[in-house]
Amino acid sequence: MKDSYTLKSLAVLLENNKISSKELTSEYLKNIENGKELNCYNTISQEKALIDAEKSDKRRKSQNLRSKYDGIPIGIKDLFCTKGVTTTASSKILSNFVPNYESTVTQNCDDAGLISLGKLNCDEFAMGSTNKTSFFGSVKNPWKSVNSDIELVPGGSSGGSAAAVSADLCVASLGTDTGGSIRQPASFTGTVGLKPSYGRVSRWGIVAFASSLDQAGPITKTVEDAAILLDIISGHDEKDSTSSVNPKENYYENLNSDIKGMKIGIPKEFRSDKLPASTQKSWDECANLLKTNGAEIVEISLPHTMSALPTYYIIAPAEASSNLARYDGVRYGLRVKGNDLIDMYEKTRSEGFGDEVKRRILIGTYVLSSGYYDAYYIKAQKIRSLIKSDYVEAFKKVDAILTPSTPSTAFEIANEPSDPVQNYLNDIFTVPVNLAGLPGISIPYANDENNLPIGLQLITNSFEEQKLLNVAKNIEETINYSETPEKWWLK
Amino acid sequence: MEFDKKSLLKLGKLARISISDDKLNNLSKDLNSILEFVDQLKEIKTDQVDPTSNALNQKLEVRDDKVDTKNSAEDILENAPEKEMDFFVVPKVIE
Repeated sequence: MKDSYTLKSLAVLLENNKISSKELTSEYLKNIENGKELNCYNTISQEKALIDAEKSDKRRKSQNLRSKYDGIPIGIKDLFCTKGVTTTASSKILSNFVPNYESTVTQNCDDAGLISLGKLNCDEFAMGSTNKTSFFGSVKNPWKSVNSDIELVPGGSSGGSAAAVSADLCVASLGTDTGGSIRQPASFTGTVGLKPSYGRVSRWGIVAFASSLDQAGPITKTVEDAAILLDIISGHDEKDSTSSVNPKENYYENLNSDIKGMKIGIPKEFRSDKLPASTQKSWDECANLLKTNGAEIVEISLPHTMSALPTYYIIAPAEASSNLARYDGVRYGLRVKGNDLIDMYEKTRSEGFGDEVKRRILIGTYVLSSGYYDAYYIKAQKIRSLIKSDYVEAFKKVDAILTPSTPSTAFEIANEPSDPVQNYLNDIFTVPVNLAGLPGISIPYANDENNLPIGLQLITNSFEEQKLLNVAKNIEETINYSETPEKWWLK
Repeated sequence: MEFDKKSLLKLGKLARISISDDKLNNLSKDLNSILEFVDQLKEIKTDQVDPTSNALNQKLEVRDDKVDTKNSAEDILENAPEKEMDFFVVPKVIE
């Protein structure tokens, strides 16, 4: 996407007074208006964004900038609580919720002078990989197969965040990733999606799904932009007891694409006959490219890979059932009248939650219930230890691991598998990373025979985001992926 | 079939989600499918393994015990569906 804006290029344009924040913000608001058919935004903060842009222009004039990126507008997944701006988690139960506090991540963005264009559509409570579980309807992928009019899913749960960046409805966005919700939609839309290590970014003020897995991260057009946004949002936060006290690095400043002498692992358990030939080809090509650029390619084994998805579908619903107990119609959100207190709870939750959310709450309640707790929940936590130790062993031998991001490219919105487990398989390559608490990034590598983006995933050890970004940068520089979707929504 | 009508309704009670009759069949099919999928874990030996609840190996920090004025009753009640004075209002609990 060399010709379109990036955080880096916009910072230069603003610095040289080639464009004002107000002009830039107006331009994106116009793109959003013209791209309404994509259904990326749940809330557009038209008025507030323009006021904030004017304030940024004033700061620039008085040389009182909050950061180099002051005045650049971005999009925010509708899972981050934003003071005075409706925050719905794409759920009916929160459709009227206006927080009176600001999440740490969005506060960090504000502290850097970034401007919010609005709140981006996602799967309900971030549960899904298609964006189809949103109460506000599916997001449409800006990409379509060549010579086809069929609408495709953008992936999920951060589907709006990824589609908006891909369609130029914002230059960069914030997403969250519990089992692949940043990397999978990034892969489906030809964008860069980074899930930081668990604890690198504060979870405070983000609508909770599965607290031991959730992490916020950037979706951007380039690896450099991912580093820039990670610099802005990461760091210790005393409001989140699980946020890491490890000092963060200057990811953008220290970006270095030299990978000579590095060891890159290819996990044999990720190989599959079911992988599309074009994805397999990209994966092989990329490994060769890293070798040409000076890295050593090492075959590794992560023996418990196939257990990660079922483990995730015990742990994530268990945590979700507990986290979502707070939606009871008493303190905020939807209330449906009932004959008594219990009836009110049951009716509110039955009407307020969508089918996928209910399925996960029910499964979560089941695996935590008396008599099943040890057999399911504790068992899954033990297997989580085995998965984590696979990676601990692997990172004794290699610096980074290269895999495909997803088992397929984007698929039809209308093509709904009747079995929920079929949908879960979308996250088979991304879920282990969350269970092990590691950082992972999806970068666009090539387009397949239908002209749909193929993403590849890099994984490093905990808190080695710098190394992760460096290897990603090396690949990006070498391949120079520059495909953009045809803007069919601009009729 | 682990999830029949009776066990589903019980689960709905535990989760405080009312399940209408017309949803029971599909829900039972979906949940059984998920359960069958996760049941493959039973084959893995875990006798000698400790559980992981959180991937971050970090001691929880204790914050300073000082008073602040955050979380006023007014703020907390701002989004309440029904309120009276400084209270949330719910349907009558005691006869």
